[in-house]
Amino acid sequence: MGIKRRSNPVVEQDGAGGGAEDLCCREDPAAAGGCGVWLGAEAAARGGNGARRFVSQRVLVESDVTAGIYLRELGTGIATIKFKNPPVNSLSLEFLTEFIICLEKLENDKTYRGLILTSDCPGIFSAGLDLREMCGKNLAHYAEYWRAIQETWLKLYLSNMVLVAAINGASPAGGCLMALSSDYRVLADNPRYRIGLNETLLGIVAPFWFKDVLVNTIGHRAAEHALQLGLLFQPTEALQVGMVDQVVPEDQVQSTALSVMTEWLAIPDHARQLTKSMMRKATADNLIKQREADIQNFVSFVSRDSIQKSLQVYLEKLKQKKH
Amino acid sequence: MALVAGRKTFAAGKTLLLRAGVWLGAEAAARGGNGARRFVSQRVLVESDVTAGIATIKFKNPPVNSLSLEFLTEFIICLEKLENDKTYRGLILTSDCPGIFSAGLDLREMCGKNLAHYAEYWRAIQETWLKLYLSNMVLVAAINGASPAGGCLMALSSDYRVLADNPRYRIGLNETLLGIVAPFWFKDVLVNTIGHRAAEHALQLGLLFQPTEALQVGMVDQVVPEDQVQSTALSVMTEWLAIPDHARQLTKSMMRKATADNLIKQREADIQNFVSFVSRDSIQKSLQVYLEKLKQKKH
Repeated sequence: MGIKRRSNPVVEQDGAGGGAEDLCCREDPAAAGGCGVWLGAEAAARGGNGARRFVSQRVLVESDVTAGIYLRELGTGIATIKFKNPPVNSLSLEFLTEFIICLEKLENDKTYRGLILTSDCPGIFSAGLDLREMCGKNLAHYAEYWRAIQETWLKLYLSNMVLVAAINGASPAGGCLMALSSDYRVLADNPRYRIGLNETLLGIVAPFWFKDVLVNTIGHRAAEHALQLGLLFQPTEALQVGMVDQVVPEDQVQSTALSVMTEWLAIPDHARQLTKSMMRKATADNLIKQREADIQNFVSFVSRDSIQKSLQVYLEKLKQKKH
Repeated sequence: MALVAGRKTFAAGKTLLLRAGVWLGAEAAARGGNGARRFVSQRVLVESDVTAGIATIKFKNPPVNSLSLEFLTEFIICLEKLENDKTYRGLILTSDCPGIFSAGLDLREMCGKNLAHYAEYWRAIQETWLKLYLSNMVLVAAINGASPAGGCLMALSSDYRVLADNPRYRIGLNETLLGIVAPFWFKDVLVNTIGHRAAEHALQLGLLFQPTEALQVGMVDQVVPEDQVQSTALSVMTEWLAIPDHARQLTKSMMRKATADNLIKQREADIQNFVSFVSRDSIQKSLQVYLEKLKQKKH
């Protein structure tokens, strides 16, 4: 089978393509080449703790295989994706590429009915779009980047799995979008963990589909207010306005996400999936029917001198903050 | 004036009326003495206050006011008559069966029947909803019992919902719990009422809300002690009937037309979808399992 065991896959991983191939030959080497490592069930069993660890560089995927093997017969199985793209889990093109592949694998693996999204970087869920991908690059790059952003959103928003966002850090812009695209949002009760679509503060504009998901979640008026002012809500207000569904002490975020997940997974899958799809299809179709146009809009917009300038100013400010 | 109008209606629809149920002649009603004209069919009781222009429909399809094809047929005819009778500007929907407003769709109509039956049944469900949702009358739901699924739909289709403050009277669209899926137009009315996010949550989990949460999420407009439900519905009705009819009706139609049109433009396709879906072996099995469970509960 060609499956190698690795004691510490993260450390030994030597680049996207490097060690992935051997371990991926069981699956689809071509697809997995850039993604990372899928340990075979045997290796996992030998691991002893029952957890099957799928590791890529920036996206850790843990699945509760003890539950998975046991629950596989009952048709339940929960994976957790932990964002690990320090320092702020920004959605770089590399990260998105790995993320998309992970999402695809989980979506196509009938073992998995539920997915928890959370962060491995302290204090930050995700800072959202990586501005360095949007600055000082060529038009083709902007197009490729935006396509990846669209793809990520569509995969999250239309996932048949139950998605629970365990928001254990700040969550502006694209981070907020990923949370909003989930079925349920649990936020840690920490005033530094603000969540919202703050694009206007950077001089840019949230895409219409960000707006659509926000309107679906908190309503039109609140969305109009929040989007124009680029509001970042602290947990109490985030709960009040409906941006998140629950706020719990920081050390209870993961367990709460899990118990919410269990509640959702008790619903017959096909009925829940058809219902979810019925609720979300129109919103997703709004983008799907005009993806290329949306990409062109983004490319034209972001490549404007004034926008490039805004972004560069903002990136400079961020660098100043660090030093 | 009203009596004359009533007689005209009887003359026109005589054959139909005899099939649906019994409409007491105006004379018989007058002999009733209290001024209330009583129209009775088997499963749909209609009381009317002609002076106020308010009719009350009481569901009487024991044990749980399930929306059987027979019930729906009577219900539709009642709604039509009231809609076409200019006497009536307002309609209160309530239950004559203790503890239950309506349990919703009659699963026995959806199980072990032929395709033609499923189509006929679904058409009747659609027709009922459209008549309720697009009624020119003010509809107030006086929810004096549990109200899952189709019962919830009837409540949501009203202009205003009063719920009795009884924790056993839960309300919601719980189709997923039975392994089935609410039709898109159920979803649309729910979204219109409680918003998209709450609807996404409630529909997927098949949530049945107790009165406090039902009020909080916006599923109902008012929660009152059980013995005040009818009087509250009546006083809400009076408030709504104070608005000039034509203005209110045009406004209501403006608010609801798009949602209703979403179904109207594809009624046949929606029926076909339902028939294909419900006749699947897996769905038939789910429904039979659920019906068995209900039988067990009874014994």
